[in-house]
Amino acid sequence: MNKFMLIMLTGTFIASCSQIVLKKAAEKEYPSKIAEYLNPMVMGAYIVFFGASLCSVIGYKGVPLSLGPILEATGYIWVAVLGKIFLGEKIGAKKATGLCVIIIGIVIASFGSEILTAITSLF
Amino acid sequence: MKKDTIKWFAILHVIILIFSVNSICSKFASQNQFLSPKWILFYGIVICILGFYAIAWQQVLKHLPLITTYANKAATTIWGLIWGFVVFGEQITLQKVIGAIVVIIGVYLVVSGDEEVNGKASKEEVSSNE
Repeated sequence: MNKFMLIMLTGTFIASCSQIVLKKAAEKEYPSKIAEYLNPMVMGAYIVFFGASLCSVIGYKGVPLSLGPILEATGYIWVAVLGKIFLGEKIGAKKATGLCVIIIGIVIASFGSEILTAITSLF
Repeated sequence: MKKDTIKWFAILHVIILIFSVNSICSKFASQNQFLSPKWILFYGIVICILGFYAIAWQQVLKHLPLITTYANKAATTIWGLIWGFVVFGEQITLQKVIGAIVVIIGVYLVVSGDEEVNGKASKEEVSSNE
C-alpha cells in the first residue's frame, strides 16, 4: 500500500466521521431554522468534510482514478462501525456480510495482481 | 406513477454521473501545483459539484427509496474505471472490474440489510404505538 492510498483512505474515514456528527446534530432540537445549520457541530462537520475532499485531491497524486471510487467504498464500513458505536445503529447479518463483501472487492481491485503473483509463486 | 419513477431514476443517474466527474477534477487538481490557478480552478469545481450533489441528492430522496439511491450510487466505481481509461489512459484490468462488481454487490447487501432492520424497527414502533 502506498502513502497516497493511505491518505485517500484517511480522507474517507474523516468524511465518514463528519457524516456521523451531522446525523447526531440532526437528532437535536434547535430554536430556529438558521440554528440548525449555524451551530458548532454542523459547521465543524462541514469544515472536516472540506478537509476530507483535500485528502482525496492529495491522494489522487498517487492513486489511479479507476481505483479512487473503489477505495472510497470503505466509507460504507466506517459509517456502519461508527454508527454502531456512536448512534447505537444495528448491524444485522445481511449488512455484516455486505461489509465483508465490500472489503473483499476493495482488496481484489487494489491488490489483485499482487495476490495472484503470490499464489502462483507458491506452485 | 411508474413513468415518474423512471424519470427520477434517470435523474438519479445523471446526478451520479455529475458526481463522478468530481473525481476527474480531483485528479486534474492533484496534477497541478498546490494553490496554483489551475489547482484552484479544479478544486473549485470539486467544491461546486459537492454542493450541487448535496442539494440534488435530497431532492432525489423525496422520490426514490433510500435503498435504490444508495445502491445505484455504487455506479461511481464503474464511472471511475471508464473515466480513468478515457481521460487518463489508465488500464482497465480484470481485477479492477471484478473488484468493482464485488464492491457493488457488497453495497447492495449493506443497503438492503439496513432496509430490513429499519423496516422491522419502524413496524415495531407502529405496533407499540397502537
